Amino acid sequence: MAAPSDLLQGTLDLLILRTLKPEPMHGWGISQRIQQTSRGVLDVNQGSLYPALRRLEVKGWVAGEWRASESNRRARYYRLTVQGRRALGAETESWRRYVEAVAWILETV
Amino acid sequence: MPTLNGLLLRLKALFRKSQAEQEMNEEMQHHLALETAHNRELGMTTTDAARKARLDFGGLEAAREAERDARGVRWLEDFVADVRYALRSLRRSPVLAGAAILTLALGIGANTAIFSAVSAVILRPLPFHEPDRLYILWEQNPEKGWYKNIAAPANMLDWKEQVAAFQDVGAWADWRSSATLTGEGRPVVLNSALVTGNLFSALGVRPTVGRAFTPEETWETGTPVVVLSDRIWRNRFKADPAVVGRTLRLDGAAVQVVGVMPSSVGAFPYEGVDIWQPMAWKPDRRSQVSFRRAHWLRVAARLKPGVTPEEADAQLQATVHRLQQDYPATNRVMGAGMTPLHEFLVGDTRQPLLVLLGAVAVLLLIACGNVGNLLLVRAAGMEREVALRLALGAGRGRVVRQALTESLVLSLLGGVAGLAIGWWGTRILILLQPANMLPVHDISLSWMVLAYIFAITLTCAFLFGAAPAVWGARRAPAEALKEGGKSGSSGHRARRWSDVLVVGEVALALLLTVGACLVLRSFWRLTAVDPGFEPKGVLSVLLVLPDARYDSPQKVQAFFTELVRRGRELPGVTMTAGTTSLPLTGLRWTSDFKVDGWGPEQVGFEVGHHEVTPDYFRTMGVPVLRGRAFTPADRDSAPQVVLINQSLAARYFPGEDPIGRRVAFDKVPDSNSVWRTIVGVVQDERQVALSLEPRNEFIAPVAQDGGRGLYLLLKTSGDPASLGPTARDLIAGMDPELGILSMTTMDEIRDRSLARQRFMLTLLGAFSLVGMVLAVVGVYGVMAQLARGRVREMGIRIALGAQAAEVQWLVVRHGLRLVAMGLGIGLSAALLLSRSITALLFQIQPLDPITFVSVPVLLVLSAMAACWLPALRASRASPALALRTD
Repeated sequence: MAAPSDLLQGTLDLLILRTLKPEPMHGWGISQRIQQTSRGVLDVNQGSLYPALRRLEVKGWVAGEWRASESNRRARYYRLTVQGRRALGAETESWRRYVEAVAWILETV
Repeated sequence: MPTLNGLLLRLKALFRKSQAEQEMNEEMQHHLALETAHNRELGMTTTDAARKARLDFGGLEAAREAERDARGVRWLEDFVADVRYALRSLRRSPVLAGAAILTLALGIGANTAIFSAVSAVILRPLPFHEPDRLYILWEQNPEKGWYKNIAAPANMLDWKEQVAAFQDVGAWADWRSSATLTGEGRPVVLNSALVTGNLFSALGVRPTVGRAFTPEETWETGTPVVVLSDRIWRNRFKADPAVVGRTLRLDGAAVQVVGVMPSSVGAFPYEGVDIWQPMAWKPDRRSQVSFRRAHWLRVAARLKPGVTPEEADAQLQATVHRLQQDYPATNRVMGAGMTPLHEFLVGDTRQPLLVLLGAVAVLLLIACGNVGNLLLVRAAGMEREVALRLALGAGRGRVVRQALTESLVLSLLGGVAGLAIGWWGTRILILLQPANMLPVHDISLSWMVLAYIFAITLTCAFLFGAAPAVWGARRAPAEALKEGGKSGSSGHRARRWSDVLVVGEVALALLLTVGACLVLRSFWRLTAVDPGFEPKGVLSVLLVLPDARYDSPQKVQAFFTELVRRGRELPGVTMTAGTTSLPLTGLRWTSDFKVDGWGPEQVGFEVGHHEVTPDYFRTMGVPVLRGRAFTPADRDSAPQVVLINQSLAARYFPGEDPIGRRVAFDKVPDSNSVWRTIVGVVQDERQVALSLEPRNEFIAPVAQDGGRGLYLLLKTSGDPASLGPTARDLIAGMDPELGILSMTTMDEIRDRSLARQRFMLTLLGAFSLVGMVLAVVGVYGVMAQLARGRVREMGIRIALGAQAAEVQWLVVRHGLRLVAMGLGIGLSAALLLSRSITALLFQIQPLDPITFVSVPVLLVLSAMAACWLPALRASRASPALALRTD
């Protein structure tokens, strides 16, 4: 497995939003899901997860609430809001354009 | 995009901080627990699992910090922490904090007071509807030197009717009228203003009770009406709305009250007006020549909506041109113009107030300079602390922010204290101000003033705080942290800032003091002006006899003659006289004239007139230069005589004897003209003001030309004010229904003529004194700092055999160099700017040499003392001690 690459802050936001799309999750769940879905390539710096979640909360893209977890402990679950869904669409679109542009440069130069 | 949720989160982070922290910790602990469990599932031991979980999480504290930052309220928390730190740190150096706050308070306080006045007088909108559509219409006559002059009624009516651009044109009489109210207790004289019926509606003022006048009431309607002011409505009629419709006795006639005006127009057209009365002109006056010849109206016009002032002016000029051709006898060269009403009402006081505003702004800059120096010294002393913080990881930006917050706290404290001082200052301003200079009775701290003060407080904080803050964060930490690192080695940068501040302060103080000195010299010149009469010991009492009971000139004359005679018999009175106009208060009326024997081209223009009783010149100490004064023989039935003053004699009868010549007060005399014989020449009195040259004047006997109003003059060898009660009794004894309009001593009149200059002088003098003191203290402070830093050097030099004076000179030389630079800059600024206060000066040039020499000398002497003292003290320290000093 290649060394886990560092994530840009904006990318982390995008990944969190996407991960939350199907269902609400708590912080650890999000980090696990990202790690698994990226097949181990992306190892989220877990310390930077929570600041990111806070930022998204303040922006209004996710909403958090305290609930009982699977093991009946109190945990904070985050879900995607309507604005978050819209933002996810926009951010995905700009990510795709970014990747495309980088690919062009790599091919031509 | 900020959402309600986001806002709630921020608020929660701010106010429920402990709860937010707790939740954050709980969440992170939960995460670690799950990660540990996951690791154990992968086969690690408990300890290893926990350890790996922690490692993978990254720095826990760093994560906590990052999350706190992400909450979005970090800057506010930092700010609050900085403020608390600043307060603590200021408490630790109370002397410095006290000095800084006091200095700032003085500067900001002065600014508060003056800006309040400026805001109340210049910036406050007029109490009329859409005041920017209102203009004053004035007349001008180049032949007579009239400009922005009062208008003749017939002209005003023609402008109203013929200029389509004016929606309405109203007018008021240029003088203060009066009416005696009887039947409501003691007879009292009310200040009245005569207005046209449509004036209030043209200005857009609505009465609080009842109605204003109707346009028809400009002309005689048969029912005399009156409108009350808010003040008299409250004071005399207990704010009873039923007063509308009541009949009052004014000047013996029954007058109906039709309305009450709001307090906002209580100062229109002059401060203290009690009632407004309509013109009530007789309709046949409209076509009379006198209606177009006598000028006594102030005219206000409202533009129609959508009309520009230029269009209106063009139409006005067209109408004026027509009038010039239609009425050549009166209007041949009579022009007209418009000025915005606001400018007209305020213009007189604008310049002095703006000069004062400039002066206090300069004062504040000097104060900021001093505080800046204080903070620089402090920053130098706090080097170690700052270095420690930098070494511990504080960003430079954070350190600068903290220093700026401290300046802000200092500035706000100074600002609050300054507000208090400023409020108190406005009370003083109102007390000190010459009558009617500031046409407001109350200068309060309005929102605009508070906003202005807040703005300058912030600016000050930045001005004096930026340099120390930025400088403080520039030190390389290692150097300052070294043991034995000299705290006095503040480095060249700090000293250079101090130097700049000192130079600036000296320059500004010079500017301020030059201004004050010019005004001072002006004032001295003014007090030395000879008014032309002797004011000492003379009391004047103004009476106006009402139409109703004194309906013939004979009755009026009989009363006044008897009054003067009885006045002479009062205890303590040495002489009495009467006059229709007091010197230093203005001209009674003006006219042109023609001398018998002059050719058709020769005409006398714009001469003043007033009337006196025979003993006037003796009572007022005015010498009769040629011929004779009046005698009781100059009665109405006797040949008409007149006196001229010295100026008129010099201007119109140079080298000849005017005695015996006959004059008529018409430009073109006809069969109706009255010819008067000149019987004497008297010395000039200054009729209008001490600062204005005497006008050419004719003086006629009251018996032949007097009117209903007279100033009774009583001369005593003691205090004239003590004659007041006896004078009142005398008049009440002669006619109990008669009210006294005013009672003043001639000394007071003369003082009033000086009042404006004295006011400016007092204020500017006070500001410049404070400014100079602050600047000198600033120089002293910087020099003391400098001297302290060179104590070791001085000790070495003295130990090596140098004289104390030589050593002192090293320090003083530096100081003097700074002062010289400051003087240079200040002088150049003063040379450039002094022209702007020419209007305030009397007989003094803006570049007055005495001022421009004595003020710098004064400043240099004080600054030299401020430089020498610290150097002296520093060199006095014993060399051994100095060498050991750190």
